[in-house]
Amino acid sequence: MQMQAPIAAKARRPWLLIVPALLFLIVFFVLPLVDNGLRSVAGDAGEWTGARYVTLLTDSFYLRVTFETVLLSAGVTLICVIIGYPVAYFLVRKAGRWAGVVVFLLIAPLLTSIIMRTFGWQVLFARRGLVNNLLVDQLGVISSPLRLTNSPEIAVAALVHVLVPFMVLAIATVLQSVDRRLEESAKILGAGRWRAFWEVTLPLSMDGIGTGAILVFMIANGSFVTLVLLGGGIQTLPLLIYQQFNTTRDFGMASAMSTILLVIAVFCLFLQLRLVRRQGA
Amino acid sequence: MSVQDRPAAEVLSLRGVRKAYGPVLAVDDLDLTVEAGALVALLGPSGCGKTTTLRMVAGFETPDTGSIRIGEREVAALPPHRRNLGMVFQNYSLFPHRTVAENIGFGLRMAGVARAERDRRVEEMLDLIRLPGRGDMYPSQLSGGQQQRVALGRSLIVNPKVLLLDEPLGALDKALRESMQFEVRAMQQRLGITTLLVTHDQEEALSMADRVAVMNRGRILQIGSPNDIYDRPQSRFVAEFLGTSNIFEGRVSPDGTALLVPGGNGDVAVPLEAPAAAGQPLLLSVRPERMRLGANRGEGANFEGRITGAVFRGNYAAYQLDVPALGRELFVYRQADGPLGTVSFGLGEVLTLGWTPRDAVPVSAE
Repeated sequence: MQMQAPIAAKARRPWLLIVPALLFLIVFFVLPLVDNGLRSVAGDAGEWTGARYVTLLTDSFYLRVTFETVLLSAGVTLICVIIGYPVAYFLVRKAGRWAGVVVFLLIAPLLTSIIMRTFGWQVLFARRGLVNNLLVDQLGVISSPLRLTNSPEIAVAALVHVLVPFMVLAIATVLQSVDRRLEESAKILGAGRWRAFWEVTLPLSMDGIGTGAILVFMIANGSFVTLVLLGGGIQTLPLLIYQQFNTTRDFGMASAMSTILLVIAVFCLFLQLRLVRRQGA
Repeated sequence: MSVQDRPAAEVLSLRGVRKAYGPVLAVDDLDLTVEAGALVALLGPSGCGKTTTLRMVAGFETPDTGSIRIGEREVAALPPHRRNLGMVFQNYSLFPHRTVAENIGFGLRMAGVARAERDRRVEEMLDLIRLPGRGDMYPSQLSGGQQQRVALGRSLIVNPKVLLLDEPLGALDKALRESMQFEVRAMQQRLGITTLLVTHDQEEALSMADRVAVMNRGRILQIGSPNDIYDRPQSRFVAEFLGTSNIFEGRVSPDGTALLVPGGNGDVAVPLEAPAAAGQPLLLSVRPERMRLGANRGEGANFEGRITGAVFRGNYAAYQLDVPALGRELFVYRQADGPLGTVSFGLGEVLTLGWTPRDAVPVSAE
């Protein structure tokens, strides 16, 4: 009986390893979140109020901003799937010994800070930027510079540029585990190249598309820097939250909007969990 | 009933097929014919080109030169889905996201067969592969043997001109493999389907095929019935790849009709089927089960040997003997015919072993 105590203590020890991380998370993540949540429902006289949420969910301005935020993220996600899938397919099935180089090229941009990458787009498309310089001065195709920055298209392009590697890696990971002999089986059984892809490869890589899409959607939904620098005219929740804090100084409203963003993110995570669970079954 | 009465229609034929990957010649000027309804096995070590050959027939690889015909049609330039083939892979390659019935009906759906007709034929196939009522299950819910039967059914339902089997039983355990060998062979014969089997397992090739083609380094060294290939190997490689063989060195006699091999007490003459150049060096192969082992000398070659290894293998015992006269070891198999619970000879015993010319086969050094 005496031997059992130390063994039990030993078995408990692994839990100790996560205590520092747990404390860190509680102090710097959970508590601020709780504080944020409380702030969003705190009235001026210290009473509870749901008025801010009522405004957010009924006022046409806020609904339009939320809708635009989700629409922008969905658009970016869709473009990432369309651009990312072929790259992932090439990476896994065709790149062969060049796969390492392709992965490096994919990841390399992530090593630069997002602000630098966004300024890169500025340099390209500014009023006196590379593109306008080329068109006006070098080629003389047009007489006056085009207004290229501060347009939604450039903001979307910059977001896709930042997020497409996540999509490629998510799809490639799943595609890697799809046995190419499954495609060959389909071909032998009479399916042409596209049919085999449509019937076998695509359905089996759906999990990768799902994971990548949720990841990209969530990051795009919370993106701020890119839109501040490039996104002329687009009004999204993160931008509005920034304004509420810095300009209007309505902390309560900003907190409520943060909660709405958080709910969307949690919903996405829930979708992803369901996806993973279905795959495991 | 006899095979000769029917015209031996060629269903699959390869002529002068070559395939190189960079500087590596995978398949070198290969000729192969599979007659209607026959099962031919391509047997060889890994890297011998047998899989490349199969993949060229399937259409996954394109030969550099040569022709591949299925029936009357030249297919070398045709994509896989237009060759009307069936193929079973080693790892079954069933579609994991589709039910057993959907897997089996896949080929029919690709061919545009109507739903009702498809369902009926899938049910028939499920009966044929002895999995009735399992159509709604997913492949992962079946055992290895059952999955292999589904893979077979999926290939056969489209009535392919030729069935390709790529190490089809390699992933199964030994007992299941043997019963599946019988099952696949029985179904192949019942349906009379022309089949090309690729395997590195000599036992699988010998027990399933009408004809076995032994491959090495991109070439077919010998092709013949399993019996013929085993008992009359033409080269050292074939003799040693199929089972074990004792190889002796000899020389063609001055008149060119026999092979003279040192037999312990002067040369022993082994008649040659075709005359060869006098004095040419040749090898002789004697199977371990054809070797004589005992206390007395006998006809043909005789050597003294000491047993250095004895392994009980159930229905027979394998002995390794050190032969000082040859400076190397020879192998002898003895049927277990002594009293139950005994092995005839023990380690260290000195015995006489030998062979007679009628049990020996001259082989090339290749």
